[in-house]
Amino acid sequence: MATIGESVGIGGRSAGSEAPTLFLRKATGLVRGWSVRDAIIYACLSTNVITLGIYEFSYNSFIPKGQLLTAVLISAVWVSFLVIAYTGLIVTIPRAGGDYVWQSRILGGPVGFVFAVTGWWFILWLWAPIYGSILNVELIQPLLYTLGAKGAALYFSSHNGTFTICVITIALAGFLVSLGMSGYARVQKWCFAGGMIGFLTIVVLLLAFSHGSFVSSVNTEAHKIFGVSNAYGTTQVAAAKISYAAPGFGLNAFGASMLLVPMLMFYLLWPNWGSTLYGEVRGASDFKRVFTGMFSGLWLTVLLSVVFLLLMAKTFGWAFYNNANAAYWAGKATIPIWPYPAMLASWLVHNTAFQVIILLVMSLWFFGWVGTLFLSSTRVIFAAAFDRVLPDSAATVSEKRKVPMASLVLMLLPAVALSAVYAYWVKFQTYTLDATLVIAVTYLVSAFAVVILPWRKPELWKASAASKFKVLGVPIVPVAGLATMGLIIFNLYEWLSDSAFGVNNGPSLVFMGILYVLAIVVYVVARLIRRRQGIDLGLINKEIPVE
Amino acid sequence: MKIFFATDIHGSEVCWKKFLNSAAFYKADVVILGGDVTGKIMVPVVVRPGSFEVTLSGETHHLETEDEVRNIENQIRNRGYYPARVTPEELAELNEQDGSIDRRFTTEMVRTLDRWLDMADSKLRGGEIPCFVNGGNDDTFEIDDVIESSPCVTFTEGKVVELGGFYLASMGYTNPTPWNTFREAPEADIAKRIDDVVRQIPDMGRAIFNFHAPPYNSGLDEAPALDETLRPMHGGAVMKPVGSTAVRDAIMTHQPMLSVHGHIHESRGVTKLGRTLTMNPGSVYTDGVLQGAVIDLNEKKGKVTRYILVNG
Repeated sequence: MATIGESVGIGGRSAGSEAPTLFLRKATGLVRGWSVRDAIIYACLSTNVITLGIYEFSYNSFIPKGQLLTAVLISAVWVSFLVIAYTGLIVTIPRAGGDYVWQSRILGGPVGFVFAVTGWWFILWLWAPIYGSILNVELIQPLLYTLGAKGAALYFSSHNGTFTICVITIALAGFLVSLGMSGYARVQKWCFAGGMIGFLTIVVLLLAFSHGSFVSSVNTEAHKIFGVSNAYGTTQVAAAKISYAAPGFGLNAFGASMLLVPMLMFYLLWPNWGSTLYGEVRGASDFKRVFTGMFSGLWLTVLLSVVFLLLMAKTFGWAFYNNANAAYWAGKATIPIWPYPAMLASWLVHNTAFQVIILLVMSLWFFGWVGTLFLSSTRVIFAAAFDRVLPDSAATVSEKRKVPMASLVLMLLPAVALSAVYAYWVKFQTYTLDATLVIAVTYLVSAFAVVILPWRKPELWKASAASKFKVLGVPIVPVAGLATMGLIIFNLYEWLSDSAFGVNNGPSLVFMGILYVLAIVVYVVARLIRRRQGIDLGLINKEIPVE
Repeated sequence: MKIFFATDIHGSEVCWKKFLNSAAFYKADVVILGGDVTGKIMVPVVVRPGSFEVTLSGETHHLETEDEVRNIENQIRNRGYYPARVTPEELAELNEQDGSIDRRFTTEMVRTLDRWLDMADSKLRGGEIPCFVNGGNDDTFEIDDVIESSPCVTFTEGKVVELGGFYLASMGYTNPTPWNTFREAPEADIAKRIDDVVRQIPDMGRAIFNFHAPPYNSGLDEAPALDETLRPMHGGAVMKPVGSTAVRDAIMTHQPMLSVHGHIHESRGVTKLGRTLTMNPGSVYTDGVLQGAVIDLNEKKGKVTRYILVNG
């Protein structure tokens, strides 16, 4: 099937111009471009302000002088270049498979395989327990405590409980993949709409109630739910005891805030997550549509983030918000669970049913997002199997249910194993940003690919709508690729040199190293086996001479 | 025996040239093009006194020399479009109602195909390398006679061709599409067409089905679900099977050794339907890349010994 830009109508003439610039005859696949609204929803759910954003905001105390507001804006401006670079790749080579296809085509099969399987498959094993952990702190724990089920809540905060939730999350993601995207895409839209209603409800609450009301509510509800007295005051004391001093709130501290950028990549680096496009007739309108979808989704997330930060500073008090998080991560919190901002906001209304409803509605941000966990992995596994790098059986689909059983096993089993490590070895939980780093490396290679695209594939580049967008005669896509490389190299430097990010320690580096070695070993072994079978994997991307 | 199978080049001249070179490149004994040979788009090159004007990818080019025009016409051809030189008056007269656009399309298509077949003559060493080309649902019927007349390319629609002990059975029709294309028919008619061709195969264990439509729900037929305005639903993330049930039934009933398909460009893949190895190499003709399958067949055992999908 094909996509045709909005500027051209089926059957003939370019809209809005007097003379036709091309003619189409009736033929398969001449379809209209996908809607920008859909693209915005996907990008916004991928850079999920609730599940990823506010979870990562809680780590502000690890960069004590950094300003979240400043860092969010710096990050978003910088990630906007990634959006341009990826738009260039999508419009030039609009293929499902994304990074795998682009890197294989531009840089060669081995490069494409190693960086696609690490970034879009292996590291997703670690994302599985992270998703589980977010489900735990944003839904299970606050819900059970609110309902008075303290015993169950305590179980889910134990090692066994954490593991159980991870397995539930993996099973849920696997189940959704096995159902296919058709039903889930509808679920996603409803989840987005419901999640936005929940978000707006919280905005109204935070606008309507004063800081004084919040202090009183925290003390009342924390006592009712957790049996804690004077939760507001003791939280401030707890932070002081660990020598943490919350920063003031504002749009300042540029230098220190730069150090928060590598942390915020955990949620802002993914506007391109669902970026596939099907097209044969591509023009400038497609570039604009793809760009607008991802860019608007990213900046919608930024808008929601800024609103949330401003209102938390107003109603919670910036010092309390940061103190509560700092004390929690130091294990010295008065409130015994993660101070989930939606839960804190719901306490402004002293009604258990209302609080439960808010938690459930806000959980739609999670359920609209969890299904994407393994979706890209299946595609990469299938692509690698079709390229004969993985055994043919990796791409088999069950006859009756159409479930990609082998690829699901290749994702689920390692994810369960890694979840066990995550649940029972607490130190491993600090390697959360490894999950971002490995994907960022994949992005780095794709950004490099887009930078050299005009030289590596000049005909493809010349034919691409991406080559038409220039500033002062310079094509913006390769320049955006360079800026993206700058963003990722900066982040890599910080992740690998600053222990605040929990990445640059022995076991973490060994873990990531194993992923890359595993990918290389799989490729080399596959090549040797296939050679013995008389199949030359080197042929896959070798170009047939034209003349 | 080694065969190279590609499909859905949709008028891309660079892909046609690569197809002709594929036998030498992959050391194939036979090359097969599975259908949808012709392009979908015609780009007018407006001839004015002393200048030319053409718009490509939204960018309008004002050209002066014949060399400049030839250069851009080559770019147009390599993308699978047909350049059509017209005067402003001719351009103004082209319209859908009187069929003049369709007539001009046919003229350009046939002219291009003639030129392509001339190239084949030299590249395939005057027929020394067997080359089989079939129509697909997007190909008009005018191409049949043009290809039939070629001395070195065999048009295979509805035929069974013997290839060193194997039997290539071809059928280019597809089940109905939303675009009401040329060679599409209801499933019952497709089944009849398949029966007519399959009946000619003497040994099903050595049969190769070359049916343009992929089998329904095989993983080789997944296309973005479209709404009633032909816009991909849910951001193009939702795929649905659009292949032919008649093709699937035929494969399951007859269990040929191999079955090759096209039609759904983004559904590149390989699967087994019963004992039959079934594949769709997909198509990215707009990128100037010829996707295909290199397949080794064992004449003695009558089976596929190895295969690889390539991005030539």
